[in-house]
Amino acid sequence: MAMKGPWGALLLALAVAAGCGGDGESPSAEISQDATETGGITSAVDGGIGLDEVDSVGAGPETLGGGEVVTSWSPLADGDPGRVTLHRLNRAEYDNTVRDLFGTKLRPARDFPADDQGYGYDNIADVLTMSPLLFELYENAADMLLSEALALPVQDSEVWHMEAETSQNTVGGMSGANAWNIWSNGEVYDAVEIPADGDYVIRAFACAQQAGPDLAHMAFYVDGLAVAEFDVPNGPGDFDTFEATIPMEKGSRVVGVGFTNDFYAPESGEDRNLIVDWFEVEGPIGLTLDDMINPQREAILVCAPEGDDVETCAREILKGFGQRAWRRPLTTAELDDLVALFGLVLEQGDTFDEGITLALKAVLVSHHFVYRVELDPDPESPEEHPLTDWELASRLSYFLWSSMPDAELMELAAAGKLNDHDEIERQVRRMIASPKAAALVDNFAGQWLYTRALEDSSPDIWYFEDWNETLRESMRAEAWLTFHAFMREDRSLLELIGGSTSFVNDVLAEHYGLSDFYALPGTFVEVDLTSVSRGGVLRQGALLTALSDPTRTSPVRRGKWVLGHLLCSEPPPPPPGVEGISEQEIEAKSLKEILAIHREDPACAACHDAMDPIGLGLENFDGIGAWRTHDAGGVIDPSGVLPGEQEFDDAQGMIELVTSDERLPKCMAEQLTTYALGRGLEFSDYAFVEDITAEFVLRGHRFDELAVMIAQSKPFRMRRGQPAEEGPSQDTEEAP
Amino acid sequence: MSGSRLTRRAFLGGAGAVVALPWLESLSRVSSGVARAADPLGAPQRVLFYYVPNGIHMQAWTPTMVGSGYDLPEILTPLANIQGEVSVISGLANTPGIPDGPGDHAGGTSAFLTCAHAKKTEGKDILLGISADQVIANAVGAETTFPSIELGLEGGGNLGGCDSGYSCAYSRNISWAGPSQPLPKTVSPELVFDRLFGGYDALATEEEKAKRKLYRTSVLDYVLGDAQALQPKLGATDRQKLEQYMDGVRELEKRIESGADELACDPGARPEGPFDVVAQVEAMTDLMVLAMQCDRTRILSFMLGNAGSNRSYDFLGVSGGHHGISHHQGLQENYDKLTVIDTWEVLQFANLITKMSQVQEGESTLLDNSLVFFSSEVADGNSHGHTNLPVLLAGRGGGVHTPGRHIQTSANRPMADLFLTMMNAMGVPETEFANSTGALDLT
Repeated sequence: MAMKGPWGALLLALAVAAGCGGDGESPSAEISQDATETGGITSAVDGGIGLDEVDSVGAGPETLGGGEVVTSWSPLADGDPGRVTLHRLNRAEYDNTVRDLFGTKLRPARDFPADDQGYGYDNIADVLTMSPLLFELYENAADMLLSEALALPVQDSEVWHMEAETSQNTVGGMSGANAWNIWSNGEVYDAVEIPADGDYVIRAFACAQQAGPDLAHMAFYVDGLAVAEFDVPNGPGDFDTFEATIPMEKGSRVVGVGFTNDFYAPESGEDRNLIVDWFEVEGPIGLTLDDMINPQREAILVCAPEGDDVETCAREILKGFGQRAWRRPLTTAELDDLVALFGLVLEQGDTFDEGITLALKAVLVSHHFVYRVELDPDPESPEEHPLTDWELASRLSYFLWSSMPDAELMELAAAGKLNDHDEIERQVRRMIASPKAAALVDNFAGQWLYTRALEDSSPDIWYFEDWNETLRESMRAEAWLTFHAFMREDRSLLELIGGSTSFVNDVLAEHYGLSDFYALPGTFVEVDLTSVSRGGVLRQGALLTALSDPTRTSPVRRGKWVLGHLLCSEPPPPPPGVEGISEQEIEAKSLKEILAIHREDPACAACHDAMDPIGLGLENFDGIGAWRTHDAGGVIDPSGVLPGEQEFDDAQGMIELVTSDERLPKCMAEQLTTYALGRGLEFSDYAFVEDITAEFVLRGHRFDELAVMIAQSKPFRMRRGQPAEEGPSQDTEEAP
Repeated sequence: MSGSRLTRRAFLGGAGAVVALPWLESLSRVSSGVARAADPLGAPQRVLFYYVPNGIHMQAWTPTMVGSGYDLPEILTPLANIQGEVSVISGLANTPGIPDGPGDHAGGTSAFLTCAHAKKTEGKDILLGISADQVIANAVGAETTFPSIELGLEGGGNLGGCDSGYSCAYSRNISWAGPSQPLPKTVSPELVFDRLFGGYDALATEEEKAKRKLYRTSVLDYVLGDAQALQPKLGATDRQKLEQYMDGVRELEKRIESGADELACDPGARPEGPFDVVAQVEAMTDLMVLAMQCDRTRILSFMLGNAGSNRSYDFLGVSGGHHGISHHQGLQENYDKLTVIDTWEVLQFANLITKMSQVQEGESTLLDNSLVFFSSEVADGNSHGHTNLPVLLAGRGGGVHTPGRHIQTSANRPMADLFLTMMNAMGVPETEFANSTGALDLT
């Protein structure tokens, strides 16, 4: 997530080379256009209120901008829309939300416990739990956020003056009337509450008793680090001012003046000492007008209390902030209660600011903030109904931005104009074009395409001496930029997986053995990689490394991953008692031979016949994704046969089989729908997914089209209550 | 095993006047009249559960001698200086940890303190059981600011069902408040310090403290009331989610009401990162001791790694990931590596109990008034056995355990029996827990 800023800028700087080849072929997708039977959902009564009110999109053909003809896709076809459980914001969502709510750079959720994951994603409402620890951290986070947001900006510089003899000292004693004699290496120091980031002048009024070959040496310290050093030529009593301008960060800082070159010759009695009368800190200096404004405070305090009308202003502030934080207007009763909290503080004799702070804290620890609450008219009725516009605004924003709705979404919701087929499309396209859509790369692609797992990979440098953190970062950036381009530039899914280009910097160019690469260090350039047998995510360092063991490749993991994540056909785990491959075996033979022996067992063959050839097709890429032609067993043979007599010669051929597999687009539709809804797909959802997939293929496998259709679909726009019999099994365990 | 435990109020009454002093002097005065029978030293009792991942190389662990003065195989050598305070227990089994098919690390880790069999799922329907530490916390946890504290070194990896079809919840947590409520652990030493000691403000006046308390509880009352009002508008699953939230609010409210800001112990300096593994485990060790010494909690659990952790031990000169090496295939090279790693793990444990033995509590030490349990999710990392598990038990538990012995239990005695003993030592008079057959006599 740290990449968002830098990579956004970096993208602009990209020199895009080479066209994207290899997009000529479309797979022969023969996916049934019939809505599959939704049998079993006996409770799903048909639309009733919902459909007609929501929108009027017919099932008839329609023309899109590109001139393509839309077939029978009907986003609101009959079928159970399902329901999403009360959704706690996960860590990424919490941090993005407070970023957009306050404009803060604080990221409090980094200290929250890791979110649990289900169905491959960490935004699954059913799986996201709450704990006393987490609630406590919400309270801490609210304090921290509000103390920054409502801080009064510094209006002027200040001086903190410290007499050395009354400061804290590590060594020395009083000398003369009122100075501190530091007689061996040591310092005088004090804590200063620095009010804001900025430049500060540190000054010391000092002299020295000289001895030995050098002048007395003095250093200024901030939090124990030397920030300036001086020779002090002055003799005893001949005090002078020494000063240096030092950038300091807001917070409690320990500022010290130290003596660093003690000298003492016992035989001659020569003794070098530093004598400090006082020291001080002044700042921040060079304040600009901008420094004197706290924009967060300005945005929250929309009025100033005047005279007796303190409460009216408080109410206005709480109403505005509350609506943004809770992503819907507050009821009068809710507002009254918040104003009462504000009033309590005033009754106690505390200030307007403190009252607002307390009420805002209540807003931030409330379940209306930390959860996305969606209500049913009747919580136990299976009858479907459209989401409110406010609920829909949040679904859209957390889907595409992992964050709260922005002003435009809120305005549309307030006007009741959002839950409309065309408006949803407009909004989705607008939102994908926003920099905030980087959240999709971090959170959706990070999990679907496994980029996040790269962080947990620990290649063993005994085996892979080229491995280092720069390489890891470069790989991560490559994967990030690749998905970003797919998402933002209307590229095809088939190109994402099997294209011939990728985004490479100098580090990766070397790692991939790319000659004739020229770009400024660290700059990523999109290049055609056909010459080095690469292109597309499957042959990128990030995925190849994340799917390897620390000391070697794992063809089984690679094959299993492709089946699971790209084709949604993950084989079941092996039966009990099955061990992996022994390292002894690996020493002796090639992995290919070993796996072939394992597949002689019919129990293994059922799954491994599909998994192993895929992974073995990638054997030319070692445990950190570098090209190789040999392994311990000799020359690598990447050819193979997949079930259905599908033969391939090498990685390129294998990938072509994957990209022409009709399960690929359907799998991506399933993955993105799961992520968009924040719940696992139910049987009844698959009819919608089938329809969307067919249309996704027709529309050129493009991400924005898929996102639009998911957002327009019934499971995304509607919900229903939960009949009692569907409820969770009653817990027998009840804490006393 | 009746007997009233020292209440929070008594504790505050005794220590409030001497805020700057280590609390125990004053506490032991106050408590002398109310000590429990099983608690002859009159000090509060603590339990700590210490988890290490991937099993232990048992051939270099199990002493050949039984009884006191046992021999120390290589992995146990870090205990040399404190052997008299530690028992090795052989023979215990935790068979509910046997998974359905593969998934021994998740299965063993979920059963680690629950002795329950995890439902195999990667989805929303995780189901296990309450853990032993939480049974204790429910009974006596209210006597301290924090009923229990859960700590670890590794947070969540972001991806995947963590082990062969088992949810990551089973691999990352050993403390479970209920069958579907894992208690997440804290892995940042700074954060642990802030939680334990953050409210401590030596300079606040009584009036300021009272006001601060009023404000905090007002906010909590407000959100709690609001959540209650929402409950009837929700379906059953949503109600359950909101109930978890309300539990969190109530927990914090209880703590504030009980005067958690009153800290009769100087916690010293906040640990400062960045932490590598070694620095992190040292900081956590200090914090665990401090938490008990300052009586912030009496019940702790600690995970040195997550289930099946593949941490690199290159800082010990060991190449490869821990999990990978633990599938040793019977190779001497891997045995050697495992011995290095396991010895390091025991060293961390030895450091903890040594520090605990150096905290004086009147006539006894913190360690005397504790039971510290050490084990792993499986026995051998290659065969993934759930019987004859590697177990250490340090401390005297106020007299229920005579340490310094190698104790051989009857074959496959359930681990739950040991937990019953630990519960009883904490004044929790349970006679059954999970698959227990009766408390294990350790005197």
